[in-house]
Amino acid sequence: MKLLTHNLLSSHVRGVGPRGFPLRLQATEVRISPVEFNPDFVARMIPKVEWAALLEAADTLHLVEVPKGPIEGYEHDEKFLRQMHHVLLEVDVLEGTLQCPESGRLFPISRGIPNMLLSDEETET
Amino acid sequence: MLKKLKSAERLFLLIKKQFPLNVSSVSKGKIFNEMQRLVNDDPESWMSAISIWKNLLELDAKKDKLSQRDANPLKRKIEENDITNPKKLKTEQMQELQESRQCQLEKQMEEETVEQGDFLTNREKSQEAFQNDVVKAVDTPDQKDLTFRVSCRCSGAIAKTFTGQEVGRVIGIALMKQYGWKADLRNPNLEIFIHLNDIYSVVGIPVFRVPLASRAYIKTAGLRSTIAWAMASLAEIKAGAFVLDPMCGLGTILLEAAKEWPDVYYVGADVSDSQLLGACDNLKAAGLQDKIELLKVSVIELPLPSESVDTIISDIPFGKKFKLGKDIKNILQEMERVLHVGGTIVLLLSEDHHKHLQDCEQSGIPLNSKGSHTDEPGIEKCLNHGEKTDLSDTVSSSSEAISQGGLDKMPPFGSLVPMECYQVSLGRTDAFIYKYRKSHSLGLLQPGSSRPRAAAQQGRRLSWDPDRAPESQGNRLP
Repeated sequence: MKLLTHNLLSSHVRGVGPRGFPLRLQATEVRISPVEFNPDFVARMIPKVEWAALLEAADTLHLVEVPKGPIEGYEHDEKFLRQMHHVLLEVDVLEGTLQCPESGRLFPISRGIPNMLLSDEETET
Repeated sequence: MLKKLKSAERLFLLIKKQFPLNVSSVSKGKIFNEMQRLVNDDPESWMSAISIWKNLLELDAKKDKLSQRDANPLKRKIEENDITNPKKLKTEQMQELQESRQCQLEKQMEEETVEQGDFLTNREKSQEAFQNDVVKAVDTPDQKDLTFRVSCRCSGAIAKTFTGQEVGRVIGIALMKQYGWKADLRNPNLEIFIHLNDIYSVVGIPVFRVPLASRAYIKTAGLRSTIAWAMASLAEIKAGAFVLDPMCGLGTILLEAAKEWPDVYYVGADVSDSQLLGACDNLKAAGLQDKIELLKVSVIELPLPSESVDTIISDIPFGKKFKLGKDIKNILQEMERVLHVGGTIVLLLSEDHHKHLQDCEQSGIPLNSKGSHTDEPGIEKCLNHGEKTDLSDTVSSSSEAISQGGLDKMPPFGSLVPMECYQVSLGRTDAFIYKYRKSHSLGLLQPGSSRPRAAAQQGRRLSWDPDRAPESQGNRLP
């Protein structure tokens, strides 16, 4: 699971609503692998990023050189884009958990795939 | 280049197409004669088809030797062995690219209309492509050493009297007599394909040994790859979009989409471990594991904020294997929730789902009860909406008849406005491709119905527009 994905996931446990984001990340196995750098793609992802959540996750994973937010003219700033590329796309959490901040419910991540299936009682009506 | 045709199942070199053989009151012997005439009557068409086929084979062999050259027999005049001229290659490649795009669009449209299998569409395409080609009559190639095999498919009235094998045998014998070829059922050089039915009699040569629909980059296919590609095309995938397949199975749709539109963020979800494992395998085999993310989630409970997805493409599972008893309504509701306003949904539905949706609709809002006319202003608005991209243009303008007729089969769903509906053949069964666009925001009707990521940031999320220049969203920091 890449951090770009983590940035989008929110908890859907019953009654949690907006407080179900962001999911707290815990990782026991992380893989960093090179991904082809596509500046155009990264630039398009920047507006979608929820920065607080990203910084929190990056911190948990002890990543360095993480930009604190979008900078002026980021679309043409290769250094910035490369750093974002690394954080969003090259860090893969293979094993770990995601925790709903409100309900405390834990969702496991296994083989890089988060399992967010809820039992019947937990789903919203 | 021909291999890049994405919505064609198979491609054939046409030798003959004519009216169906008359089976009604004629003796079997007479019909056999008719079939033999297919072979003997017109040696010229046979010769030219075979020489084109030979040239294709040679070009193919040469292509393998030259690294990185894209030999395209369609555009190139075959007698000019100009393969080594790089400048010419480039301009021709540009033309081909446009041409093949055109072909793709046309094929796709034809693919999506009700037809007797995919064979018909491909036959027409190859007919255009190859009959326009100038081919020098090949000076008596040595044909005596050609081995061949005849594959025959019969359906309709003729199938009641003959089996495919009988016909194959008759044609095979005729060919041996006429050209002196040898039959080889296991590994022939040349395969002759015959299709006889109530609409036409066609003879052709398959251009590739393996059908185009079988993709080199897909290890295990789920949905037929041609339909998957067609659905992805309809979905108007833009660069930088977030595309979701909430019931991805083995990931066929996402694979086809990611191959064609790479600058996009793809996510696939499924509830089944085995499917997800298969999808994972497929992604790795195709080298697309960095482009597509997988989640184990349920489509009726997506852990995504409202209005966070740009495009949804999905093959709704058919039939009795689909156990969970999920109502298609619930599925559509959740999809609608996570979709951006202006986003598109493209679904593949079985006839049952299609009927079910219609039933739900009829018992509810009487929007479609008068038929298509009441919907017309809505429809036109939608079609205009879709005309932004070239693809929609071609599709909507030339298949308006279909969409308008099909649209009254398509109930609107909440804020999802029906755009297009196509009936397609999956081989044994038929299915429907539905395309919806979300016309307005659901808003905060009930506490659970909309799930913004955080109250303060909701406004920003809703107004995000992929086409707007990023500069205008300068004040993003929390």
